[in-house]
Amino acid sequence: MFVHNPFAALPASIPPVAKQTYVVVMFLLVVGGTLFDLAHKGSASYFFKHRRAASFGARRRVSTGEATALAVETIVVSVLAAGEFCSMLRRLTHILTMYGFVLYVVSTAIMVFAYPTAAAPGPAIVAELWYLGALLVCVGGYWFWFLQRVDVAAEGQSRFRLVRADLFIVSLLASTTFALLWAGFQGADDHTWANVFFGLYLLASTVLFASVPWSKFAHMFYKPAAAFQRRIEHANGFRGNLPAPADRPVTFGSARRQPQNY
Amino acid sequence: MSRKTVFVDADILVIGGGMGGCGATYESRYWGRDLKIVCVEKANIERSGAVAQGLYAINCYMGMHWNENQPEDHVRYARNDLMGLVREDLGYDIARHVDATVHKFEEWGLPIMRDPKTGRYQREGKWQIMIHGESYKPIVAEAARKAASEVYNRIMVTHLLMDSRHPNRVAGAVGFNVRNGDFHVFRAKAVIVAAGGASHIFKPRAAGEGMGRTWYAPWSSASAYALPILAGAKMTQMENRIVLTRFKDGYGPVGAYFLHLKTYTQNAYGQDYEAFWRDSIEKMVGDYVNHHPVPTCLRNHALLEEVKAGRGPIRMVTKEAFKDPHKETVGWENFLGMTVGQAVVWASQNIDPKETNPELTTSEPYVMGSHATCSGAWASGPEDYAPAEYQWGYNRMMTVEGLFGAGDTIGGTAHKFSSGSFTEGRIAAKAAVKYVMERNKDRPEISEAEYTQLKKVIYQPLETYRIGRNEVVGETVSPSYLLPLHGLQRLEKIMDEYVGGISSHYTTNEPLLTRGLELLAMLKEDLALLGASDLHQLQRAWELQHRFLASECVTQHTLFRQETRWPGYYYRADHPHLDDKDWHCFTLSRYDSRTGRWDMEKAPVYHIID
Amino acid sequence: MPTFVYMASCDGCGYCVDICPSDIMHIDTTYRRAYNIEPNMCWECYSCVKACPQQAIDCRGYADFAPLGHSVRVLREEEKATVSWRIKFRDGREKNFVSPIRTTPWGSIKGPAEYAPPSAAAMSSQELAHEPEALKVDVLPTLARSRLKKGLV
Repeated sequence: MFVHNPFAALPASIPPVAKQTYVVVMFLLVVGGTLFDLAHKGSASYFFKHRRAASFGARRRVSTGEATALAVETIVVSVLAAGEFCSMLRRLTHILTMYGFVLYVVSTAIMVFAYPTAAAPGPAIVAELWYLGALLVCVGGYWFWFLQRVDVAAEGQSRFRLVRADLFIVSLLASTTFALLWAGFQGADDHTWANVFFGLYLLASTVLFASVPWSKFAHMFYKPAAAFQRRIEHANGFRGNLPAPADRPVTFGSARRQPQNY
Repeated sequence: MSRKTVFVDADILVIGGGMGGCGATYESRYWGRDLKIVCVEKANIERSGAVAQGLYAINCYMGMHWNENQPEDHVRYARNDLMGLVREDLGYDIARHVDATVHKFEEWGLPIMRDPKTGRYQREGKWQIMIHGESYKPIVAEAARKAASEVYNRIMVTHLLMDSRHPNRVAGAVGFNVRNGDFHVFRAKAVIVAAGGASHIFKPRAAGEGMGRTWYAPWSSASAYALPILAGAKMTQMENRIVLTRFKDGYGPVGAYFLHLKTYTQNAYGQDYEAFWRDSIEKMVGDYVNHHPVPTCLRNHALLEEVKAGRGPIRMVTKEAFKDPHKETVGWENFLGMTVGQAVVWASQNIDPKETNPELTTSEPYVMGSHATCSGAWASGPEDYAPAEYQWGYNRMMTVEGLFGAGDTIGGTAHKFSSGSFTEGRIAAKAAVKYVMERNKDRPEISEAEYTQLKKVIYQPLETYRIGRNEVVGETVSPSYLLPLHGLQRLEKIMDEYVGGISSHYTTNEPLLTRGLELLAMLKEDLALLGASDLHQLQRAWELQHRFLASECVTQHTLFRQETRWPGYYYRADHPHLDDKDWHCFTLSRYDSRTGRWDMEKAPVYHIID
Repeated sequence: MPTFVYMASCDGCGYCVDICPSDIMHIDTTYRRAYNIEPNMCWECYSCVKACPQQAIDCRGYADFAPLGHSVRVLREEEKATVSWRIKFRDGREKNFVSPIRTTPWGSIKGPAEYAPPSAAAMSSQELAHEPEALKVDVLPTLARSRLKKGLV
């Protein structure tokens, strides 16, 4: 079941070029949406203005070599290992969702561009990665959505409350959930339900990629930049006006417990 | 809207997880090994209460084993500072135990500064020792967590429950979970109230964002008073509000500056002004002006008069003292460990005490029980020496059976501060354990009718808002509901204008007080129309209800005491002198929640004779 | 000086929501990050600032009396039992302070039930837990009842 390329199995009435156009349009919506968001909010202007102010507060120069090392560290620790999250469980759900999303999107592109027809659906591994990706997003995403979300876990809001901050995660989960249901029913030759869920999958995915200016989607691009800038500031002594760590030994252990909340 | 009800049974219920509450929780476990000890706190005991940001000094420590002070000395000091009116039996009781509390704090890990020459605790003044107390509250909270059977954070207790079989006996409490809205019903054999006193009942000097920078924590919402008042407990000295002379705007502490750095005050023209007012003060209060040290309120009075005479701003002379680098460090760390906001004010206005003598001001009034003031519940005293009139059985029990108090809750015990409040919690706890054991663990009965009715009342503001919201487009201005902030600001304005706030230089009289009561009565009716949009606003609504009740009590007491006992705290313009003939006594009030009547009476003062 | 949260640093962990004594740190509905919902009930106690694992919270003095351009930031390091402060004046002057915050490991307090249970004699006395040893004097002081006289003396 998890070896069938669901895009190749779509009716021949949907030509490959239509599927490929859709993927390209989604990609452009993300790029365009992010650029629009940056321009409209002036967040890039803010970022560079802040960088200048930070460099005035610097105490030492950071060499190119050092900056490169910090950039690599940012990619490895903050991006690939989700190091921006201080809570281990939150980090875990993010890693599941992030890598799942990457697998899901990349395998979609491969199947749609290289193996879009039933005649040549491609190697099973590509489809398997698509299913795996969607599944990882669902596991990480639903776990986050129902249990980890800070407004639920710390604030006591209802698990079923919907606010604008939920736009990205809900549309992403809708996309992957409907994708799995569509592929499942299609594989079982139940074309009525397959069509229903395919339609919902398209709707959810379009909302996901088109809502970039209103959702938290673009934060996945901004956060690494902010994380890198923060590393530079700690290296150059500005530290965002924070005091340097105390020159004392570490001997007392930590009292930090997961917040009891309520 | 159906809400889950959570029932919690306890032997001893400690309401409030501040210094008093943590002391009570700790000590309850020591004496009641197999008792169920429950501590319930509106916020998170890790940082709740007035010691949230830490303290730089412990202001109540005898040093008996170094022969520095004896408990009697502290009683005389507190009596003197409060113009003769303190519960000397209760004060002695705290003073004789407090050293043990402080020694335990040090053992637990509180860094206490030492005098390098003598090896003793570094004294800031006769009663004060200096500490690095940024984590004072987390350390004390750890001790409480190790003692409690359960600690409930984020539950706001709104009412006490009474025993349905015996009149005048407490049976527990009710409240709501600020996070998920659950209704909590606590059943207990003894209740120790150790909640917060009253900030935000008089209009503060800063009315915008700066409203938050009160001297006493903004989350001290007078639950310490409202809970006992509603249960019918007698309250004492509620007119004895405190006004503090502190650094301008930030209200940063001046104690270390005066005592350790040896700074002093001047008017705007560089003149020493206190001596100038001495004679006029003597005309008001007689021989009390000759006491040493000069009572806090009289020092306030001199500053106030100087400002009214147009020779402000008053400044503290720091330029000389701050040249010493050690003193400069103490001066800044004094704020960072206790009132960070003052460091922020100085940083924002480029004030360096090496170059500028910073401004002082008198604050808006507060009502609490642990500082240079002693408002609170009337409590029974220690069995070994308290006079019969001050004793009706258990130490720190109020006039309601089974209801104990500690910290800002208890009246008559001035100058106990943090260590004294924790100590009073311990005293109340041991007495509460005895009370529970001697009743053979007999449990009072709560009434389902009572808590069902209270449940409706507690959540009513959510309903009022939900329905009333349909009427208007914008949410804040509505003819049919009042937001908690609106009610708070009206309360503060009434108290300010009629009951002796800053706008009248703390002056009031009978016609003003009477008019104030009329306006309070209308506000009380409007409180039934409070609207809360969410659980946070519901908490604010109940904080306002508690503040309101305390304010009513303060006003009644202020009306009752026909003299000016503490010039510099407040003035009765129609009785401008101290009157030891008729008013060398405590004022007591008792509120009947069914009729809304306040019954006032006097109680005698007992002094320790030399 | 109410608190504020840096957009780029907050990861929505909820520690500040958990610790705030005033219940004013809550989660924004657009960004799912923390913010101060009621600056006029903020005491500037810095509990949230100290609790934030990302140092994402800072303080700006109350607008009604604190000019802009200042900074008072803190680093509380439990493992070293220290708190470090960095104060920057509006005119750029800087002051730095480091203080100890504890002398014993976190979690090391001996709970009251770990002590030997009190005797009946201790229960009926006026002594509190650990007394008289913790007082460091031999006997808990007391007064003769006759020392207390009613009225003006």
